[in-house]
Amino acid sequence: MEEAVVLEKKLQSARSPKSSSELKRRLWKNKLLYIMILPGLLYFVVFKYLPMYGLIISFQNYKPYKGISGSDWVGFEHFKRLFTEPDFLNILTNTLILFGMNLLFFFPIPIVLALMLNEVRSSAFKRTIQTMVYIPHFMSWVIIVSISYVMLTMDGGIINELVSMLGMNKINFLLSPEWFRPTYIMQVIWREAGWGTIIYLAAIASIDPTQYEAARIDGAGRLRQVWHITLPAIRSVIIILLILKIGDVLELGFEHVYLLLNSMNRSVAEIIDTYVYTAGLQQGQFSYSAAVGFFKSFIGLVLVMLANKLAKKMGEDGVY
Amino acid sequence: MKKKSVPLLLSVMMISTLMLAACSSDGGKTTNTGSTGTEGNKPAASEGTKEEASENEAPAEITIMLPLNIAETPPDTIKNELEKLTNTKLTYNFFPADTYEEKLNASFATGSLPQVTYLKNQATFLNLKEAIRDGEFWEIGPYLSEYENLSKLKEQVLNNTKVDGKLYTLYIGRPLARQGVIYRKDWADKLGLPEPKTTEELFEMMKQFTENDPDGDGQKNTVGLADRNDLVYGAFKTLSSYFQTPNNWGEKDGQLLPEFMFDEYVQTMDYVKKIREAGYMNQDFAATSKTDQINLFTSGKAGVYIGSMQDVSTLDKDLTKNVPTAVTDVNSLITGPSGKYGIWALPGYNNVVVFPKSAIKDEAELKKVLAFFDKQMTPEASNLMFWGIEGTHYEVIDGKAKEMDDKDKIEREVKGFKDSVIGEVETNGRYDGYYSLPSRIKAEELIITNEQHAIHDPTAPLDSATYTEKGLQLQDIITDATYKYIYGQIDKAGFDQAIETWKSRGGSQIIEEFNAAYKK
Repeated sequence: MEEAVVLEKKLQSARSPKSSSELKRRLWKNKLLYIMILPGLLYFVVFKYLPMYGLIISFQNYKPYKGISGSDWVGFEHFKRLFTEPDFLNILTNTLILFGMNLLFFFPIPIVLALMLNEVRSSAFKRTIQTMVYIPHFMSWVIIVSISYVMLTMDGGIINELVSMLGMNKINFLLSPEWFRPTYIMQVIWREAGWGTIIYLAAIASIDPTQYEAARIDGAGRLRQVWHITLPAIRSVIIILLILKIGDVLELGFEHVYLLLNSMNRSVAEIIDTYVYTAGLQQGQFSYSAAVGFFKSFIGLVLVMLANKLAKKMGEDGVY
Repeated sequence: MKKKSVPLLLSVMMISTLMLAACSSDGGKTTNTGSTGTEGNKPAASEGTKEEASENEAPAEITIMLPLNIAETPPDTIKNELEKLTNTKLTYNFFPADTYEEKLNASFATGSLPQVTYLKNQATFLNLKEAIRDGEFWEIGPYLSEYENLSKLKEQVLNNTKVDGKLYTLYIGRPLARQGVIYRKDWADKLGLPEPKTTEELFEMMKQFTENDPDGDGQKNTVGLADRNDLVYGAFKTLSSYFQTPNNWGEKDGQLLPEFMFDEYVQTMDYVKKIREAGYMNQDFAATSKTDQINLFTSGKAGVYIGSMQDVSTLDKDLTKNVPTAVTDVNSLITGPSGKYGIWALPGYNNVVVFPKSAIKDEAELKKVLAFFDKQMTPEASNLMFWGIEGTHYEVIDGKAKEMDDKDKIEREVKGFKDSVIGEVETNGRYDGYYSLPSRIKAEELIITNEQHAIHDPTAPLDSATYTEKGLQLQDIITDATYKYIYGQIDKAGFDQAIETWKSRGGSQIIEEFNAAYKK
């Protein structure tokens, strides 16, 4: 009760003319917290908010030598061009399918891996495994794609040699449209699965061990403990990461897809990012590229909002 | 639970933000093209040169802006010598090549381009054409004949750099036609094969290299041709020249048409298809990168490499590391069914210089600047800029320049100037490079012979608005169809259909626009 009165008073003082000095006082009081927030805030302002200014060029016929202020305005012309592009639907579908597969096949793997690592008893063994699964994350896509090429090529690649030793026909992994998506997903898993476990392992480490003790006394086995304690405890982390992942919906890795893309698999491998590169940037069509990028971010935003809403419906916190 | 999840949420957000931040550097963000680029430029190291001109005429003061392909701004060693040779006072503003376009655009937008402005490459030149049409730069065509050396510049290359038929630029030359066939001479000798002079003999060579165990290890583990996922700089376009296919565009019944509408293009596709189906080349070439292609050749697995003949130096070096007995050879004089030679030609330049009106106020000043370039095109000056100082950076053997062993010093002091030399060996009289590898010497000779058989791109000096907007994107339709034809997934009818798609999506307009420009 007393608290409420104090709060009421505070609110009043906040609305009063003295509020600015009040604000200053509070800023000063929590200065350490604000200083701690500052680098993060600066990061977002400098790298995320300021570049938004550049979106203006998607409504212009931007000429680099004229600058943003000197270029002509063209309204929605670039967006019209994108939506009337004959391949537009195909590219959008490819992007969304790849994203869906990413979510379906890649997303659960770090969770499973983290649960498995958590059950490992010898800490030396656990750490070795952890380091080993992290390593691919630090390799660039160029290296990963080259390694895959060497393994998958029909000219003496080890996998195709095995296939033909088993008496089957060699499989054209690199050039056939059917194999593009599996190859892509396998490479993503190989590179990122280990790295993705970090957050889950941290979350698992924060679970109160007494809960496990209690469960053991009640006679719960390993699997029961995982199911009833570990998973519910990291549920909110999973949901948050899922929403964040959805926000990156269209960040499928330009470099990765572009390296895998070739004339024979273009029908499934052309995604928005690679399209921007060939149709826009290679030809110096900055405005068009910006318009496509804008559209891509817009889809991302819509999906995040949907996912967030869904999470809240399910009784979770969501990201905002 | 509720209380706990807030710090948890925050920590998750923070960690993932950090990860995102860490990842975004390699994330391939390609959409941000705003003007927030970093300009890591160093001021030119040119102040404080106490140069007293002993000539009666005061040295002309010229400021030059150019891209730098190395990390450090070169010292003044070369610049000081150049000033003496040309009676000028030069200010070289080097900017890192990586961010050069941004610097160029920013300087242009603020009207602060210097008297002599180098562009970065052909692409920057294309992007600048509109500004050139707007009259932002001096037209220099009419003045060239007044200068002894500048008037030697190659007509063909100058034509390729014209904008609407007018010349605004001087060019940094590159060989016109350096494509050819590099092959394993030791293998050919072992199998008793002659130097390939026709496409038939070339096919026979690939066949025997695949089937007759040229490396003599008793296993069928070699392949004829190593090719890659590039129809232009890979084997395809060079082979297409042997079939007399036009270079990008050609004339048929008085009309300009793209190369893929010519029968010769289809013949080339059939030829490559035959090679692939017979297994005489790497089966995955449509997905093979240049590194992997080179690897096939240098590891001693493949015997034929078609591309720039100058690559023979590096190919030979890496090959003999793996196979010490290997010998390479080159040839580009190969005929197809018509019996005629043909080599597709590049535009002959890789960069150009423009002269902004904002910095050069009048004709007199322009003439001073052009006079500097005229003097720069003498053998003394261009040797100085290209090779450095004789005895310090290079020595002359048999009338050819051989670089000294201290490559770092050459790179540091000369490289910055080397990339800015106007013209080429034939026009500025500088020394040819000295090579000891026989196949490289032959390659250099062939490159000169090639010029007589060069197939030029008639659209190089022409413009088409539709092509500028989506030419490359449309080209993908044809590229895809070409590969699919070679891989047997579509037939001639399917290929023709791809051409129709190309036409309907803007190709017809491109044909019209190029023809309209061509007739002018």
